[in-house]
Amino acid sequence: MEEARSDSAVLLPADVDGWHLSKKEQAYDRETLYEYIDGGAELYLSYQFKSVITRTYSRQGQPDIVLDLFDMGTSEDAFGVFSHSRETVDSTFGQGSQYTEGLLLFWKNNYYVSVLASPETAQSKKAVFELAKRIDESIPHEGPLPGIVALLPKQDLAEESIRYFRHYVWLNSHYYIADENILHIDKDTQAVLAKYGKKGKRHILLLVQYANIENAKLGFKDFAKHYLPELTEDAVVRIEDGTWIGCQLNKRLLIVVFNAPTRDEALKLMDAVSRGD
Amino acid sequence: MKPKVLTRREFLKSSTSAAIAGALFLGSPEELFAQSEKKARVVLIRNKDVLDDLNNQRDEVLQEMLDEAVMALLGENDPIKAWKRIIAPDDKVGIKTNVWSYLATPRGLEKAIKRRVMDAGVSEGHIGIKDRGVLGDSRFRNATALINTRPLRTHHWSGVGSLIKNYIMFVRSPSDYHDDSCADLAKIWKLPIVSGKTRLNILVLLTPLFHGLGPHHYSPKYVWTYKGLLVGSDPVAVDSTGVRILLAKRRQFFGEERPLSPPPKHVFLADTRHHLGTADPEKIDLIRIGWKNDILI
Repeated sequence: MEEARSDSAVLLPADVDGWHLSKKEQAYDRETLYEYIDGGAELYLSYQFKSVITRTYSRQGQPDIVLDLFDMGTSEDAFGVFSHSRETVDSTFGQGSQYTEGLLLFWKNNYYVSVLASPETAQSKKAVFELAKRIDESIPHEGPLPGIVALLPKQDLAEESIRYFRHYVWLNSHYYIADENILHIDKDTQAVLAKYGKKGKRHILLLVQYANIENAKLGFKDFAKHYLPELTEDAVVRIEDGTWIGCQLNKRLLIVVFNAPTRDEALKLMDAVSRGD
Repeated sequence: MKPKVLTRREFLKSSTSAAIAGALFLGSPEELFAQSEKKARVVLIRNKDVLDDLNNQRDEVLQEMLDEAVMALLGENDPIKAWKRIIAPDDKVGIKTNVWSYLATPRGLEKAIKRRVMDAGVSEGHIGIKDRGVLGDSRFRNATALINTRPLRTHHWSGVGSLIKNYIMFVRSPSDYHDDSCADLAKIWKLPIVSGKTRLNILVLLTPLFHGLGPHHYSPKYVWTYKGLLVGSDPVAVDSTGVRILLAKRRQFFGEERPLSPPPKHVFLADTRHHLGTADPEKIDLIRIGWKNDILI
């Protein structure tokens, strides 16, 4: 832990709506993040996290406002962390935001921002929004989304379900596949998971883009070996619960559809990826 | 030989998985759980009056709940008699709590436990109550008995923060246990400082956190007033039961299957790999006491 010296500090106001900085600002890097969010650091470290600045703002008779400004290194990584727990589609702040009873999260360019005041009061909610607005305005540019996200077909996509990651644990978090990394997802791969169709009966699309064709072939081979040994050139298999899984490799891109209600749905979604719909 | 990869499809193939579904991350084949003839008893006690309108705990109700649960666990009809079966007068007792700022072990529960430990004949000077810093506290280093208590919540990296994980403060470098989403947390329970010392586990479900957001993994939106305690001598059985309640709540709230993120693998492996207790609902004798509304299990 150290006193904040990051350039990110210039983005942060000294006070907002009667709340003032009440504690010394702190900064953490990849080595020290555990000291701040022990047990939660792995999520950030699995992306290209660089540093976080944390501030506490206080006002008498009101809950503290805890602000965390994460420099995630790239906009793709900032989106990745944000997408990890996104429940709604909202762009009130930055390039995407969500608010739930005292907690406001948003991302913009390489920054992921959390503003928390709990329990929520009418005044604290107003201050949280004002703080977010000022930080949003002080980040001059937007950044690109991960390229692989653009490969997701738009039709029937539940946009709030998009998850972008580079560590296999996060795949299992959102849709359990196996206790080992049979898809060989690592920091050099880009992976995105998204749900399609109506809530309660959704099927799931997983795209994994590997660094090279050899790695892609290995991922495809081990996935087929451990998960879909029945896989043939047909590319679609019906499994024990009656749903269909589709799987195909297009050069460096592995396409897998889970939980499809019919064979045609699985094929249709894979085709849509291949066509770039 | 390398262990077989455990895939979602392996779980689906098991005819028993439906019965176990919801336990842990997806549900697991029965044969994967530790083999034991004896069922682990877990008491779930709930009281709708334990919280006031502002969700402050009512200490006297909490004491009653603890007493009833311990009596049911031990099959006694007097709380002090029951506690005397757990704790001896010459014990040195460490009460391992949790101080996470958004959801800490309730002070009223700490007091209730301490009171009964003293009723069992232990002098106040031989009782330690702590979370962080237990390694530096002689009352914990020299403890002959431990009581483990903390609230139930979802957790960034281990899926759930519950009883097994609560002993992480007994190691010098907690991050040494972070590999593979904390898969082997149960190993901590074999360390000399805690091994064989835990007499009682109390998982607090007054206001559990069933989903987490943001760097602090907390939003009041995902806290609900369940008003319960889970009590048992087998920490794996208690945690496994807690996980099932969390999963049921997530299903109810989100309107679809929402496995814990990440899966609480360490609870499953505490049974199958480390044999600390049983995670298999079929081998847990769950006793339900009190308020039944939205019990979820």
